[in-house]
Amino acid sequence: MEVTDATVVAQVLAGDRDAFRVLVERHSRSIFRVIYRMTGNQQDTEELVQETFLRAYKSLERFELRANFSTWLYRIAVNRTLDFLGARKTHMQTKDTYQIVDNPDAEDRTQIQLPAQEPGPDRLLLSSEMKTKIAGALGLLTPAERVAFTMRHMEGRSIEEISQTLNLKASAAKNSVFRAVQKLRQQLEPYAGQGSPARSSRWGGSAVK
Amino acid sequence: MNHLSEEQIVLHYYGDADEAAEVERHLAACPECRAEFARVQSTLRQIEPLEVPEPAPGFEEKTWLNLRDRLPEEGGFLKRLLRPSPPKWAFAGVMALLLAAAFLAGRFWPRPGQQIAQQPPSQVNPQRVILVAVGDHLERSQMLLVEIMNADTKGPINLSSEQAEARELLDSNHLYRVSSQQAGDPQVARLLDQLGRVLAEIANGPAEVSPGDLEQVRHTIQSEGLLFKVRVVGSEVNSRARRPEPSGGGVNQRL
Repeated sequence: MEVTDATVVAQVLAGDRDAFRVLVERHSRSIFRVIYRMTGNQQDTEELVQETFLRAYKSLERFELRANFSTWLYRIAVNRTLDFLGARKTHMQTKDTYQIVDNPDAEDRTQIQLPAQEPGPDRLLLSSEMKTKIAGALGLLTPAERVAFTMRHMEGRSIEEISQTLNLKASAAKNSVFRAVQKLRQQLEPYAGQGSPARSSRWGGSAVK
Repeated sequence: MNHLSEEQIVLHYYGDADEAAEVERHLAACPECRAEFARVQSTLRQIEPLEVPEPAPGFEEKTWLNLRDRLPEEGGFLKRLLRPSPPKWAFAGVMALLLAAAFLAGRFWPRPGQQIAQQPPSQVNPQRVILVAVGDHLERSQMLLVEIMNADTKGPINLSSEQAEARELLDSNHLYRVSSQQAGDPQVARLLDQLGRVLAEIANGPAEVSPGDLEQVRHTIQSEGLLFKVRVVGSEVNSRARRPEPSGGGVNQRL
């Protein structure tokens, strides 16, 4: 019978550092997939997987408060990735390749914007013009919007999971997903072959009613 | 007839709209909103889940080998000493705890003229040393919480220095929580438990946060009345630490 994650955690906490290997072997691939969807870069992802496990190890004594190790680890992974995306944004700003979104609203100005030149998780989608547009549009999302959208749209995670992972209220998590979709629509609908941008959405590029 | 908002339509696509039945009824009756929903659906369906490459063979092994050298050795050791264990380890744990607390107290609580510093080492009451260290810990935590509560929300919000402080406090917080539990002081233990969770949120969150994220942290601090509790308990702990010791050493003084 397979030893449960909780048992392994107890072993590590009791001083058996090498028992942590079991957790790494069990969860590193799923954590890899989660992070890759947000960064789109294999090397960055591998480093972030290590960072995630390192942070988990250092915080392991707090795991007893959590119901499920993989959920707890997932949350650490997402937060480490958010840190990374934020740091990458700062780096890109320094290199003066930073690009502001077309219509930032008051809140956006204080949030992190990713460089449009950095397609992120979209490198595999570059085979057609529309896919290139999708890549560019995703690159305009803030890290929080990107994570929320990835979790909801690509991983099928619930709003509750998103709010717990990002430490947001459910309404704020919903709003992050909505704002991501709103920005994607602004960027993509003019190319969707469904008429002019003015006709494609009755809200055009405006904010939510 | 009022149309659905864009947010209602988008959230309905994911099955997350409030009052879903009402949204459904409206869509059935309103061609314009139905067309809008179809446009949202068409756009979102083009964004397919990303295909993730398989990591190279031996990825788990490579991850572990790289990670193993970076794992702090003393973490496991310290935790082992602090966990419920056979009596000989319990004794060693208490001794390690006292030594660590004495070190922290000496490092972070330089109080000129304080009696403790003037006493020869053999006469120092370890419980009192921990009490002083906990008082200092709460004072530093209070300053951090005040900084978070008063952080400027104009422009990019960078909490990296607060995070570094939170990480440092988090390490000692665990030590003091265990120590206060062992000393039978549930009030301080409960507060440190509560404080630990907030410190962990700050330490593990992103360095750059949006006003919304910051507001969420502030809300947690406010809703739990944490700043007030830290202030009150910290003041009480400091007052107990300054109280003259009864003759005989007062070894069993609560934390």
